[in-house]
Amino acid sequence: MNYSSMLEGNSHIKNWPHLKNWVVLPLLILFCAFLTNTIVIFFCGYNPFRAYLAALDVIFGSPRGIGETLVKSTPFLMTGLSVAIAFRCGIWNIGAEGQFLVGALAATWFGTKLAAYLPHTAWIGIPIGIGFSIVAGGMCGVIAAVLKITRGVNEVISTIMLNYIAINLVSAMVDGGPLQETSETGPQSNPLYAWVKLPRFFEAHRIHPGIILAVILAVVLTYVLFRTTFGYRLRAVGEGPEAAQAAGISITRNTLYVFFLSGALAGLGGAIELMALAPHLTKNFSPGYGYTAIAVALLARLNPLATVASALLFGALTQGAFGMEAEVGISGKITWMMQAIILMFVVAATSLNYFQTKRHSE
Amino acid sequence: METEYILELKNVSKTFGSLLAVDNITFQLQTGEIHAILGENGAGKSTLMNLIYGLYKPTSGRFFISGQEKQLKSPRDAIANGIGMVHQHFMLVENLTVAENIALYLSHFAKDKRHSHQIEPLSRYNKISQIRFKKDEAIRITEDLSQKYDMTVDPRAPVGSLSVGLKQRVEILKALSVDSRILILDEPTAVLSPQEVKSFFQILRALQDDNRSIIFISHKMKEVLEISDRITVLRNGKKVYCGKTGELSPQGLAREMLGSELTDIQKKKSTVIDEPVLRISGLSVKGSQEEIAVNNVSMETCRGEIVGVAGVDGNGQKEFAESIMGLLPITAGTIQILGKPTINTQDIRRNGVAYVPEDRQTTGIIGTFSIAENLMLNISHFENVATHGVIDQNIKYNTAENMIKTYDIRPPHPNLSVSALSGGNQQKVVIARELSTDPELLVAVNPTRGLDISAAQFVHQALLEQRESEKSVLLISTELDEVLQLSDRLYVMSRGNLIEATDYKDSIEAIGLLMLGESIPNEL
Repeated sequence: MNYSSMLEGNSHIKNWPHLKNWVVLPLLILFCAFLTNTIVIFFCGYNPFRAYLAALDVIFGSPRGIGETLVKSTPFLMTGLSVAIAFRCGIWNIGAEGQFLVGALAATWFGTKLAAYLPHTAWIGIPIGIGFSIVAGGMCGVIAAVLKITRGVNEVISTIMLNYIAINLVSAMVDGGPLQETSETGPQSNPLYAWVKLPRFFEAHRIHPGIILAVILAVVLTYVLFRTTFGYRLRAVGEGPEAAQAAGISITRNTLYVFFLSGALAGLGGAIELMALAPHLTKNFSPGYGYTAIAVALLARLNPLATVASALLFGALTQGAFGMEAEVGISGKITWMMQAIILMFVVAATSLNYFQTKRHSE
Repeated sequence: METEYILELKNVSKTFGSLLAVDNITFQLQTGEIHAILGENGAGKSTLMNLIYGLYKPTSGRFFISGQEKQLKSPRDAIANGIGMVHQHFMLVENLTVAENIALYLSHFAKDKRHSHQIEPLSRYNKISQIRFKKDEAIRITEDLSQKYDMTVDPRAPVGSLSVGLKQRVEILKALSVDSRILILDEPTAVLSPQEVKSFFQILRALQDDNRSIIFISHKMKEVLEISDRITVLRNGKKVYCGKTGELSPQGLAREMLGSELTDIQKKKSTVIDEPVLRISGLSVKGSQEEIAVNNVSMETCRGEIVGVAGVDGNGQKEFAESIMGLLPITAGTIQILGKPTINTQDIRRNGVAYVPEDRQTTGIIGTFSIAENLMLNISHFENVATHGVIDQNIKYNTAENMIKTYDIRPPHPNLSVSALSGGNQQKVVIARELSTDPELLVAVNPTRGLDISAAQFVHQALLEQRESEKSVLLISTELDEVLQLSDRLYVMSRGNLIEATDYKDSIEAIGLLMLGESIPNEL
């Protein structure tokens, strides 16, 4: 498969705009973000270079560090794919956070309750657990889709509201609710049954098959978007709804598909995170993956394949924060700030691009 | 008549790229006259008005205002020189009251030193520009103005609550508040009901009595003849006629407007098969403002014929075409294609209907898609380029390259983003895509707009080929030449009504009158 062609959905032209959009611009964004961050760290009274060295050491210094980076990138990748698909198709789904949580919640319900009644084998437990999360996340998206199609409710508003519902639903379920652990000591669920947990590759590392699944999904989604009529319809509806409609493509149906697909990806992300890593579902299961996902997807210019690289960066940032905190004493909150700074530069660069195109077309 | 004109343009030209929009026009406006400008779409009326209003800079030529040479760099300059414009689409803040709208407009100019020495009454209104907005002052000014010209309007009413006619009054009051001596009215009656037109004309006469000059742009012959003192006719950017109202008969004016030189097209005799492809009966459609855009239209197209619909832009053609394609809900009537009532766009497309929409940029193409991707933007193409939903890249590029070659799309790179193409080449992409599906019926709205002559001829040839292969074509176009030359049967669309006009094909005057909403006198 020709990757550069997949990026733009074409294969012949390799010229300056291509290089500019996919290499120079992201690097420039990162450079500006790091520079800004360096200044902030400096004024906070730390030595930025020591901090970065510590971060690099904890990311690349050991096989364990690299593995952890991969593990931490996975939720960013899954939610990033969810956002990239939605935005690409003209749907401003801000609900990846809620869909991620609902996916995890559905997997918990299955993994701590229902799975007991099924044969105790991973061959059945894992696929059904994953299936539950896909349906739950997808339906969470479909709610917003139905509101949009039937009542014209802006999905930005409805998905943000659905996020709050999801966050509080998880709280209600694990804090005094039906999914709270049997001993009722803390606000968390029972651990999943062993046959619903994803296996790990190594005894000492947390690397799990979910990472590979996420990367495969990124490749498949890219293929579907750019090489199938299904993906073509989705993109057409997103980028030129009136033209798509005139061509005979149903806006309603494809909007529904996009919402389901986007929600399902985030929901699956929640299940992978839970089934591979977490001992229980807790109240604070997601530190805002679904929101950071917007930055992940935008930095990748809404391309599923590029989202892999972008998610790795955000995973590395999270991992690097540990190093900075442990060795230099910088608060882990710096990572969040860094992500926000990247997001700002991404948005700035996107609008820059937008204005340039505007000027050309005049 | 005095020799000094309040506004005089000498040899003014304006080019956009290679297009000559206004070609060496000399135009004089007398004090206290109502001067009508007639012309087809694209004749250069709007460009000329925008030049006078300072929105465009002329490529060459000179401007004189009251005998003094001026250069108008912006609308602000124009307003400072006493030129006011009432746009077709009102420039009002709907949430503010009438008085507030006028105060808002005034506050831009009251402080302007260049301005205030020229326009005496403004010193009176200086207070309005102070940082604290004085409501009573604004209301007083509005009342003064509306009493002076007998234009009753409640200064305290929010503009959003007013009728279209009253909004127009507010626009005129705005222009008068800065004492505009020259008023440009861009199709002012297009939005008015007949009763409103009557009182509107009274206002114009009152303004005329106050020695103000009015430039009145319109498509409607009757109104022009009723209100104007002089008429200028533009065609293809040139001034083709200027004279006193009444000098030339309506037929003569129509001939000047439309021109009569027709280039011949090779057209074989075709055998019309009496089998309807499209049959419409009693169709009514509402437009975006809930107005009746298409009014009780019945017609049919048969195999082997081109049915033309002529008309001035904005008379319901767009809504008519969109309702046939299933893109607009119909309020009454039925549409049948090949004997079956239509369900939705998908169904209409699958039944072999191709569509060249009026709005190329938003409905014809997807700007961010490549040429090849745009060339398959019709569900009828999907089966050809894809098997089991997977797009075959070779077929996609081969068909794209074939179409690019056949239709001479430049630059010929299937992967280039379609937004990088010129308007004419984008239109070729649309035409190539729609005709290559071998449709039973082609609905084409202004298919040659923006094309150069050879490309337009190519499209005409393609339409004729459709007809010869016993398919059906519905050609809706504002280019009268095109419709007259190509169509076997002819209709004229005017204010949502479809009028059969095949019998008048040889009389350009009669067609012109129908297009302008007139009835045809007996002698024609």
